[in-house]
Amino acid sequence: MQSKQYSIKVYECSIDDEEKFISFFNTNYTLFKDHLIVINGYLSQNIKNYLNSKSLIFINNIKLPKGRSRKALEKEFSLQKRECDIDRIIAQTELEKLSNRLQNNLRVIDEIVRSGREINIDGDLLLLNRVNSGAKIYSSGNLIITKLVEGSIRCDGNFMIIMASPKANIIFHGVKIDSKFLEDRLNRVELKGEEIVINPVFRKEINWVS
Amino acid sequence: MGIVIAVISGKGGVGKTTAVANLGLGVAMNGKRCAVVDFDIGQRNLDMILGLENRVVYDIVQVMDGEASLKQALIKSKVNDNLRFLAASQSKDKRVLNSKKVQKLIKELKENFDYVILDSPAGIESGFEHTIEFADAAIIVVNPEVSSIRDADRAIGILDSKSQKVKDGGEVAKYLIINRIVPDMVQSGEMLKSDDILDILNIKLVGKVPEDNGVIDASNQGKPVILDKHSIAGQAYKRISARLCGKKIDMKDVEVTDTSILKKLVGIFR
Repeated sequence: MQSKQYSIKVYECSIDDEEKFISFFNTNYTLFKDHLIVINGYLSQNIKNYLNSKSLIFINNIKLPKGRSRKALEKEFSLQKRECDIDRIIAQTELEKLSNRLQNNLRVIDEIVRSGREINIDGDLLLLNRVNSGAKIYSSGNLIITKLVEGSIRCDGNFMIIMASPKANIIFHGVKIDSKFLEDRLNRVELKGEEIVINPVFRKEINWVS
Repeated sequence: MGIVIAVISGKGGVGKTTAVANLGLGVAMNGKRCAVVDFDIGQRNLDMILGLENRVVYDIVQVMDGEASLKQALIKSKVNDNLRFLAASQSKDKRVLNSKKVQKLIKELKENFDYVILDSPAGIESGFEHTIEFADAAIIVVNPEVSSIRDADRAIGILDSKSQKVKDGGEVAKYLIINRIVPDMVQSGEMLKSDDILDILNIKLVGKVPEDNGVIDASNQGKPVILDKHSIAGQAYKRISARLCGKKIDMKDVEVTDTSILKKLVGIFR
């Protein structure tokens, strides 16, 4: 389907005196020639002939849809936008919940990460062994390390689970996490809105990812 | 077919060459045919520690280039008939090594000896890589200090990725020697504990060697400390050599000295 949408100018009037009408149109012809003429009420053959001779387009007794005022339009727009925003926020929180659970390209590494090794992972990473001094880890997704870290780790995911590691260099979303905020067990470092929240993980909490 | 053991450390000055000399002699004393090879091309030291300085005629580079046969180049130890020594070249540098030559040499050594012990250069450059390339096992020598451990950790990482055995899908056996332990410092917490080191490096411990002033004198005289019956380091190397030969010997806790027991007693009476 091909369609076009455009605005036209309309001149709407009703005729009381035919002589007056014709003389008015004659004088203002240049103004009206681009308009659609809408005539309400009775339309005589005489006027019809006159309008045809001037090749003006006219219609009789028709109700045209009228545009609303600018203010009304703006009000409606803002209302729509707010609804849209609310929808987006709901969708985002749903997605966040989902991606908390979601394992994006989960990689599991069950070997000691020795000095000089660099691991760059686009997705989630689960490390089941030590990260030694001089090693570098980066994960764009969530990061869980179950043993002591002495190297440098960087995580840009929703959360990170690590032990207190005084020798490590831990960076979460560009913020350095000081080991004094971490307890001597696994800790969940989480991004909630604009804040980084750190909570210890208790052994009874089997479900690490909520 | 013998077994090839590379002795590595990453950091220099931790006692690799001393360990090679003592373990070579120790293994030979256990009745095994043993060859010790100095791979530290350009910085030859092992000949001095073994006291064979003036007997070197041909070196490892000449053997690899075919200028001398292996039989001609191997030097017999003065103290033990089972021990042979192959010297490094002092004039060349490690760039003369290449994988094919090294492989050929190691194959030949393996056919003639029960144990081939390679003394690796410090660092992780090409000389180190050639030493570990065809090794069946590695002994990692560390001192109980952080820099030595980090360098050893890096060296193990390279060992696990670049050795031929790993490339063929196998695994290089790795054993740890903690050298120059000062028991008093370990007890006062100034020196890293063995357990912490084992936690970090995560490899099997084959022995602990305490600090012993006799080692320097022994090296200077060209008589490895293992020959000294009263030396505590010598005894430690004896135990490690026996373990390498498959004997079951309990790990001696060198961190606990007699003096510390005395101190404990003093503590009780206070």
